[in-house]
Amino acid sequence: MPAWFTPATALCGLMFAISPFLIANAPYESTMGLVQKIFYVHLPSAWMFLIAAIVCGVASIRFLFRGDARHDRLAWAAAELVVLFGIVTLVTGPLWARKAWGVWWQWDVRLTASLIGWMVSVAYLLLRKYGGPGSDKLAAGLALFGMANVPFIYISVNYWRTIHPTTSVVPTLPTSFGLPLWFSTVMFLLLFVLLLRARVRLEEQRAELDELYLSVDG
Amino acid sequence: MMSILGVMVGYNPGDLATDWASTVVLHAQQPEAVDEFVPIDELPPQDQLPAAPLLVVAYAFVVLALFAYLVSVARRLGAVQRDLERLQAELKRSGRT
Repeated sequence: MPAWFTPATALCGLMFAISPFLIANAPYESTMGLVQKIFYVHLPSAWMFLIAAIVCGVASIRFLFRGDARHDRLAWAAAELVVLFGIVTLVTGPLWARKAWGVWWQWDVRLTASLIGWMVSVAYLLLRKYGGPGSDKLAAGLALFGMANVPFIYISVNYWRTIHPTTSVVPTLPTSFGLPLWFSTVMFLLLFVLLLRARVRLEEQRAELDELYLSVDG
Repeated sequence: MMSILGVMVGYNPGDLATDWASTVVLHAQQPEAVDEFVPIDELPPQDQLPAAPLLVVAYAFVVLALFAYLVSVARRLGAVQRDLERLQAELKRSGRT
């Protein structure tokens, strides 16, 4: 692991220890009350979900055009994080919606597109695990669809107005709401980078192991 | 004025007034779209913890999901590391490194 990994892990752990106090001290939102505090994990995890899909897509494009296994390893690692942060987003969202909207789920464009994006990444991982030879390139092609979905997820709420808040909420947040949100976002971003690095390291070691097995067989 | 307009378009003025009133009631019943958060200092006691179970489940799920993934990556890394060390030792013993 690189030299920055351990201090960054310690910093991330410290931020996770501080964040409950910041979130608890944030004011209640006037119409949603206590349940709005789900916002501080829902939104950062949703952003990491989208960032991971972009990383997976860009790495897959580079792998398809250059054939470099390093890009493939990065794409695979990012796809797992799409699934992880995606499930966090898709579970915390309905828990918030149940109280704020009165329903667990609505088949509006953002929610549906997010679910599809998440399922694309699950399909990517299943393909990598059970697809056999050649599944790396097929999965890379699938990752492009996952990435193409990202801007659609982001802007959909502004074009198809539903009960999901628009993208104008975050820029207009008062400091009392903004501070815990941005703290939580940096914390999730740091966690994302750490998990991505650890997961890439796993693939590097697997590649090394494969080379050793080949040399033993040879 | 409303009666004159109603007569001109062949509308019963009474109906027109009822429609207008029902439209006003409908608009009054529709909640405002929430596009920004507004902080308040105090809530009535009965509203202070209205959604505690949902909030607890959400945060518990986040912690458990992240922890489970962390453990999963650590276990996989450990298993590959052990395989690597075993294989390297075997290669060393057979003098093929």
